[in-house]
Amino acid sequence: MPATEHQQSFLGRISIRRNQVIAMDGNHEQELEDLELFQRHTGDRFADLLSFPEDYPFTGEPFLSISWLRKLVDVLLCCEAEFKAVLIMGRDPSQILKPPLDRLLIDFMERAVKVLDICNAVSSGVDSIRQCQKLAEIVVSALEQKPIGDGQVKRSRKALSALMSALTIDDKENNHSRYAERTWSFGRRGSNSGGNHKDRATHGSFRSSSMVVAKNWSAAKQIQAMCSNLAVPRGGESTGLAQPVYIMSNVMVFVMWALVAAIPCQERSGLSTHFQIPKQFVWAHSIIGMQEKIGEEWKKKEKKGSAGLLEEIQRMEKLGQSLIEFADGFQFPAEAEKLEEVAARVAELAEICQRMEEGLMPLQQQIRELFHRIVRSRTEILDLLDNGKASQPII
Amino acid sequence: MPGCQSMTTTTCEGEQHIIAAAQHILKLLGENKNLTGDFRRALTELDSHLSAMTIINESKRWRFSEIEEQLKCAEREVMRWESNPSLIWDSGPTEASEYIQAVNEIHTVMETLGGLPMNDHGRPKELAFRAQCVQQIAMSRLEEELYHILVQHKQSLEPKNIYFPPSVDFLYDESFVSVEDEIVEDTSERDNNGRESTEYTVDLIDPLVIPDIKSIASVMFASGYDREFCEAFIGNRKEALDEHLSNLEIQKLSIDDVLKLEWDTLSCEIKKWVRAVKIIIRVYLASEKRFCNQILGDFGSLDSYCFVEISRVSVLYLLSFGEAIAMGPYNPEKLFRFLDMYEVLADLHLDMEGLFSEAANSFVKSEFHDLLRRLGESASTTFFKFGNAIALDASIHPFPRGEIHPLTRYVMNYIKTLTAYCDTLNLLLKDRDVDDPNPVLETDNGQDICTSTFSPMGCHLRSFTSTLESNLICKSKLYKDGSLGHIFLMNNIHYMVQKVKGSELRLFFGDEWIRKHNWKFQQHATSYERATWSVVVSLLRDDGRTSLKERCRRFSNAFDDVYKIQTQWRVPDLHLRDDLQISTSQKVIPAYRVFLGMNDKNGSDKYIKYTSDDMEKMLLDLFVGSPRSLRNSHRW
Repeated sequence: MPATEHQQSFLGRISIRRNQVIAMDGNHEQELEDLELFQRHTGDRFADLLSFPEDYPFTGEPFLSISWLRKLVDVLLCCEAEFKAVLIMGRDPSQILKPPLDRLLIDFMERAVKVLDICNAVSSGVDSIRQCQKLAEIVVSALEQKPIGDGQVKRSRKALSALMSALTIDDKENNHSRYAERTWSFGRRGSNSGGNHKDRATHGSFRSSSMVVAKNWSAAKQIQAMCSNLAVPRGGESTGLAQPVYIMSNVMVFVMWALVAAIPCQERSGLSTHFQIPKQFVWAHSIIGMQEKIGEEWKKKEKKGSAGLLEEIQRMEKLGQSLIEFADGFQFPAEAEKLEEVAARVAELAEICQRMEEGLMPLQQQIRELFHRIVRSRTEILDLLDNGKASQPII
Repeated sequence: MPGCQSMTTTTCEGEQHIIAAAQHILKLLGENKNLTGDFRRALTELDSHLSAMTIINESKRWRFSEIEEQLKCAEREVMRWESNPSLIWDSGPTEASEYIQAVNEIHTVMETLGGLPMNDHGRPKELAFRAQCVQQIAMSRLEEELYHILVQHKQSLEPKNIYFPPSVDFLYDESFVSVEDEIVEDTSERDNNGRESTEYTVDLIDPLVIPDIKSIASVMFASGYDREFCEAFIGNRKEALDEHLSNLEIQKLSIDDVLKLEWDTLSCEIKKWVRAVKIIIRVYLASEKRFCNQILGDFGSLDSYCFVEISRVSVLYLLSFGEAIAMGPYNPEKLFRFLDMYEVLADLHLDMEGLFSEAANSFVKSEFHDLLRRLGESASTTFFKFGNAIALDASIHPFPRGEIHPLTRYVMNYIKTLTAYCDTLNLLLKDRDVDDPNPVLETDNGQDICTSTFSPMGCHLRSFTSTLESNLICKSKLYKDGSLGHIFLMNNIHYMVQKVKGSELRLFFGDEWIRKHNWKFQQHATSYERATWSVVVSLLRDDGRTSLKERCRRFSNAFDDVYKIQTQWRVPDLHLRDDLQISTSQKVIPAYRVFLGMNDKNGSDKYIKYTSDDMEKMLLDLFVGSPRSLRNSHRW
């Protein structure tokens, strides 16, 4: 991965530089240059992300697709590594213990903890998408049969209902679907088997997300909390270490926000309004561009209660809708023209399933890597802060 | 329909003729003697293919009406249940096996029809579609039945029903500062016996219904509905696991929440976690895996796929809670919880290897190992932070009455509790160097020295107590009265020795340490006597310049002062107090008697305030910790 290479050489350079700086008895200019580079690299990385061909289809990584999200997380990982190098490497604790940096870092670490929870929630959202993938695969295998008969159409219809109920989940109402026919199967005889009816009804929807995430946890609130004390460094702060802390915080918030918008997550109402990055920063241009694009999409989707803006999910939803129409209107024998149309849709659905099969697990593992990285950095920053202070008495 | 039948027959016969002709050609070709080996082999293969086709075609000579009849029959069976509100598998084994039989018939019909050539609007095709429809209805029904069986026959896994020896809950006094040491006494044995070879699997589903579930699996798989089966199966079992986690009182907490929990609540959550992790991984998941294998073992690797889908999310959640804990802060009281967590995971290491053995699951395994490593690091970080904290514990005021300082109690009880974790700690501390202030020499006292004394933990514990001693010496300097400083050190070092002698700690400290520290506190006792009593007793001495009256006055005043002050001091250990009182008496009383004896003829009676018996009794009031008023408050 070129990004990693770049990252390593950068770290090497910084550490050599720091040694020189120490040898030269504190050269402030070198530090300014590091900060400057960090801003530029951050801007460049996000600009690369925005430059992907927007006009889908079938080439490159469409905006908000699985592979695009993987690049996005990669960018966050790179920025994080560079940030840490700027902030920590070879640094004397006394430098970061001075106000206002100490307070800024404590805020930063609170944000980092929220990032961890979002990582877990998103990772569980990825699991829900995998469930959709499994349902879509049933649809594909039913409708791929030739010739198509009533039996297979009904089979696909059943999987489609479950799929659509999972895809159009309304996260405001705690995973209740708007679709009447939201059961994966069953229902009729549920009534005479005690309380099982309810269990069955939710089966096949995003119930797995309840597993990892605490009951009252809200993705939107976490994002909001991450932004609440995010102030632009002013005056003297703007040239010091407050600047990279500010940039990194924004990068984290943005990436988390984008992930939450793309992937099913618990409680996301009002997501589009939560954070604003001032336009004057060069590094922020691409982020703001993406933010606007995602924000618009989100507003459109929020009303409809979609599972997420992930490109694959959106396409799956559209295809599912049209296949449901086909299934509901199906009469044997079907017209050849209609069958061709369906075959094309099924092929597209199969292609999406394939992308999910290839991309979801790596995405999930990457999110896990991000999780571990944030944990590590948090520990290192805490150690740095700790080393400057006298320990607390034990009793 | 005779027409249809004859059409099929004609087609078959036509094929038959072509095959016969081809076989004839092959035979003729075979007679050519110039053929190469390869060519001859190809001919033989072709010939056997043709023979096989002949056999298949024979079987197609089924009478078409028979097929139709077979389908109708099966269809009747399937549709009969569609209008019936009760469940098939609840209605008895005969009903169930008849249904399965019907589904199998449909499958056979479809296979047979699939082997027939079909034109677009032919009768076989119509029949095939009809079969497909019935099959779909039957499959939906089977899914429903499956779900119902899984719910209905789920066996509750009450923790008390689990067949493994429940680990003794490890209790200790969290505060470590309690005055009554008995509370922290008896930290009880823990389940420290490592891994036993016993498997702890239980039946999560009534074993009686396993054949039923398997029969549903077989027909669904045979009919190509394997995905539906797996989805329904996984969905149900996931729910069951989720439910079981809540039975174990595992509530979902965000990391943000965990970091904000009060210590007591957190400690309680951790204890629940330790228990749940052990039950879930060792018993529940092992049983789940066995169950998946019982049901799906015959269908390739699907059993392990389903097992992982069922368990992954829950396992990752459990690990994520561990991560949240390992993030710190590293307060000393957390060490025991870290060690509990580390030990339970280390103990489950092999179970995890077995559960997630496939390469595709390396993700779950590596998460597990990461957490194990991080918990180990958190534990050693906390351990060393504890050491630093001992050094840094600073006091401004001298500790009242020269008693045992809470720090001493805390440290000693803390390290005493640590001995229960010695194997784990030795492992975690293996590569950490320490300046052992009291190195134990190999030659020191031969067999009495046990390996614990040399263990990393032994070294570190001695280093902790040595830090503690240094700190106590600093604290003793806060006393304006040097005598009280000695009492303070005597009390505290005596306490340390008692703690070491009376517990497993003695194995880590060794006899040499105990000897040395016995000597140390005795030294402080001696120093105390010298500091307090040498001056007082010396007042009795006739230096030739001071009058008897004056000497008596000075002595009595000095004694009264000591009495007034030192009855407030406290030596909490009764033996130690007795010893100190006796040796003080031995120093003071004989000298006083000699003085009285020498002066009783000089009319000293009027100057003498106390008899030697009085004084002996008064000495017994020292170090009790309750200030006494003098019996005679009259002062000279």
